[in-house]
Amino acid sequence: MKNLIHSAYWWTDERLDLGGLEAFVKHKTVPQHAHSFWYYWGGLSLLFFLVQIFTGVLLLVYYRPGPDAYESVRQITFNTSFGWLIRSAHSWAANLMIATVSIHMFSVYFMKAYRKPREFGWWTGLGLLGLAMVFGFSGYLLPMDQLAFFATKVGLDIPSQLPVLGPKLAALVRGSLEVNEYTVQRFFALHAVILPLLFVPLLGLHLWLVQKHGNALPPSEERKPAAQRKSIPFFPNFLMKDLAMWLIAINVLAVLASLYPWDLGAQADPIQPAPVGIHPEWYFMSAFQVLKVLGDWIPGKAGEFVGLGLFTVAIIGWMLVPLYDANSQAGRRARNATYFGLLLLIASIATTLWGYLAI
Amino acid sequence: MNYPFWDVPHLGSGWVIGLIAIFHVMISHFAVGGGFYLVLAESKARRESRQDWLQVLQRHSKFFLILTGVFGAVTGVGIWFAIGLAHPEATSALIHNFVFGWAIEWVFFMVELTTAAVYYYTWDRIPDRLHIKVGWVYAIASFCTLFIINGILTFMLTPGQAWLAVAGTGMESSRFVQAFFNPLFWPNLFLRMLACASLAGVWALVTCARIDGVKFPELKTALLRWSSRWVIPSFALLPICFAWYLWNVPDAQRALMQLGVSTVGVGAFSQLTRTILIIPLSSASVVGVVYLFIWRSPVEVKMRHAASVVLLALFATASAEYGREMLRKPYVIGQYMFSNGVRPKAMSVLNTNGYLGASLWTRPLPASATAAVQRLAKGEAMFRGQCAACHTRDVYRSMKRLLGERNREGIGSVLKMLHDYDKDSPYRKYMPPLVGRPDEMDALGDYLASLTQKPEKSRTPGTPLASK
Repeated sequence: MKNLIHSAYWWTDERLDLGGLEAFVKHKTVPQHAHSFWYYWGGLSLLFFLVQIFTGVLLLVYYRPGPDAYESVRQITFNTSFGWLIRSAHSWAANLMIATVSIHMFSVYFMKAYRKPREFGWWTGLGLLGLAMVFGFSGYLLPMDQLAFFATKVGLDIPSQLPVLGPKLAALVRGSLEVNEYTVQRFFALHAVILPLLFVPLLGLHLWLVQKHGNALPPSEERKPAAQRKSIPFFPNFLMKDLAMWLIAINVLAVLASLYPWDLGAQADPIQPAPVGIHPEWYFMSAFQVLKVLGDWIPGKAGEFVGLGLFTVAIIGWMLVPLYDANSQAGRRARNATYFGLLLLIASIATTLWGYLAI
Repeated sequence: MNYPFWDVPHLGSGWVIGLIAIFHVMISHFAVGGGFYLVLAESKARRESRQDWLQVLQRHSKFFLILTGVFGAVTGVGIWFAIGLAHPEATSALIHNFVFGWAIEWVFFMVELTTAAVYYYTWDRIPDRLHIKVGWVYAIASFCTLFIINGILTFMLTPGQAWLAVAGTGMESSRFVQAFFNPLFWPNLFLRMLACASLAGVWALVTCARIDGVKFPELKTALLRWSSRWVIPSFALLPICFAWYLWNVPDAQRALMQLGVSTVGVGAFSQLTRTILIIPLSSASVVGVVYLFIWRSPVEVKMRHAASVVLLALFATASAEYGREMLRKPYVIGQYMFSNGVRPKAMSVLNTNGYLGASLWTRPLPASATAAVQRLAKGEAMFRGQCAACHTRDVYRSMKRLLGERNREGIGSVLKMLHDYDKDSPYRKYMPPLVGRPDEMDALGDYLASLTQKPEKSRTPGTPLASK
């Protein structure tokens, strides 16, 4: 048996240079310090994305976009063996993925891992978060229940307020004058074809950049002399810990999906009034609350313009931080960038909580 | 019905027991497995003259004494209080049948507490061989407490035909041995022994993780790996013991586990399936994480790694205990007493003479109360007596959510189904029967309708809906 495995290994090695790959992973190291815990969050985001692919493919077997959308999700949830579990795992993993990507983003930000030469890693990461949120928004409509219908209706009203392109963009996505089965088909195409086509190559580029530049050191570690810095081999030490974190994360997902299965509301009915207390998913709640408050303070279109303008400025500022705080030495710009990050983090959490309390 | 009802709003009385019991099981199983761990580790250390091991074990025995002797004992007493308040009928039935068993258990428990303290306080004060003997006395006494409590716990799911044949005749204690060694006794004992061994290893990681890996790499590696081995038996044997356990579970209860396969449903119907899914995953993950975090890089192990294993063990314990409780549905004592405290043999009497008439603790109302107020009060008393053991009004297994959009007629239909308790009723698999006279059922319907705030305008007040 041993000889057979050896022969198989050498046969493959001659053709694919497995030895080279082995030497590469053995050469790679991961810094070990007080903040090493934050290195796991990128891997956890990847895990939840893989869960999304696996459960998404299983859901594809039974899901029927268009007029049958609701009925097919009802069958998945109530008739197909363990269909409810797969659907719940898909929905919870989507939320956990956005949560882990957000934690990963803020940990990268506060460890200053966006600085030279990792600027493209930062930008591709932001692109992935943006796409993940569009994944969430497009997936939300697919069951076509009351909540999904009205949440999408409200969600599409926001970009339609943008000048010039806004109404055209909203109409393009909606596929009709109202949210209906054509919208479901478009959202399905977006969710299951277009977004994966954009997401997977961008993820590949992001992972390649992480591979190329390695894990960044936080400023507190960078200041230490090289001899005092510690690191562990990526293979097998870090990989084993990463896998243990994945196991824990899978357990968290299993507990959520099993004990709090995703609900399916009544079939969407445009004639019915919107459900009481309708609100967006938690990752849009901050933006929703800011727009709501600004709408109250500044009546009419002006409030919406101010809100959208504020978001645009914040997003552009967030993207350009690597160019502003490019210096590896701690200085005024580094401090300002940290304050900006803290402001954004606290504002996001505060407005999200405010949004939930205001329901 | 001869006891007051304990109405715990939002959470439900069951969860008061559950929250205490889950932590108690985590600690009490450690108390059993940890005793064997300590004495075997000490024997090994003395045999190999490992003074460094003995120092760590002394620290571990302090942690062990505090956790088991304080938190274990307090939560154990807490369970007594909670079950006595939440389900006095069932507690009374258990005491009447097993008072002798519990008396024996308390003797062993006293030996356990005493020897745990003696073991800790006599490190380096008594001869080595005597210290090990104290450890063995502790380990055996703690195993005996498990042995006895296991008989009573398994009785609640499978009391056995021998005991059921005399149940309610006043001769129950004559079948003590048959009831104690009921069909689930041995498989459940082996399952719990495996859990004890695992938890002994898992909790030992907490102590061993605190060893300085830079100063004492060999000590940390050796102790962490030795502790890790304690989870292996459960990894290898748990599936076999679990299959053995399921083999002895009554068919009706086994069918409960399949209720949630094809539908998520609403409420309690699929809870057992959903909970059981977590048990194998979290149990296997304990072994996986111990291997990846602990076995592979023992020197780098920190408290957070040990804490993550404890957290996973908590998932496994909580889901297993919750699943075991749910498996008894619709009974609290298999085929003898339903989860609402009603005995099958008493159903027809209660339906004829009334449920509340047999209850001594219903709240008296002033004579000036209107008929509507009296009817709602009667309905609330029915709710407290027959529903509140498992349901709350608004949060856990919320009646408001379960009744959903049903109007008064719809609520009446559900109550009628539960009252009729037909053989082909889907509710029969999970829910106990509702008992009472038509006016009591009607009052309960009115009360539940008042919770959902959907009064039926077209209905004439007082017209029975849920009568046979």
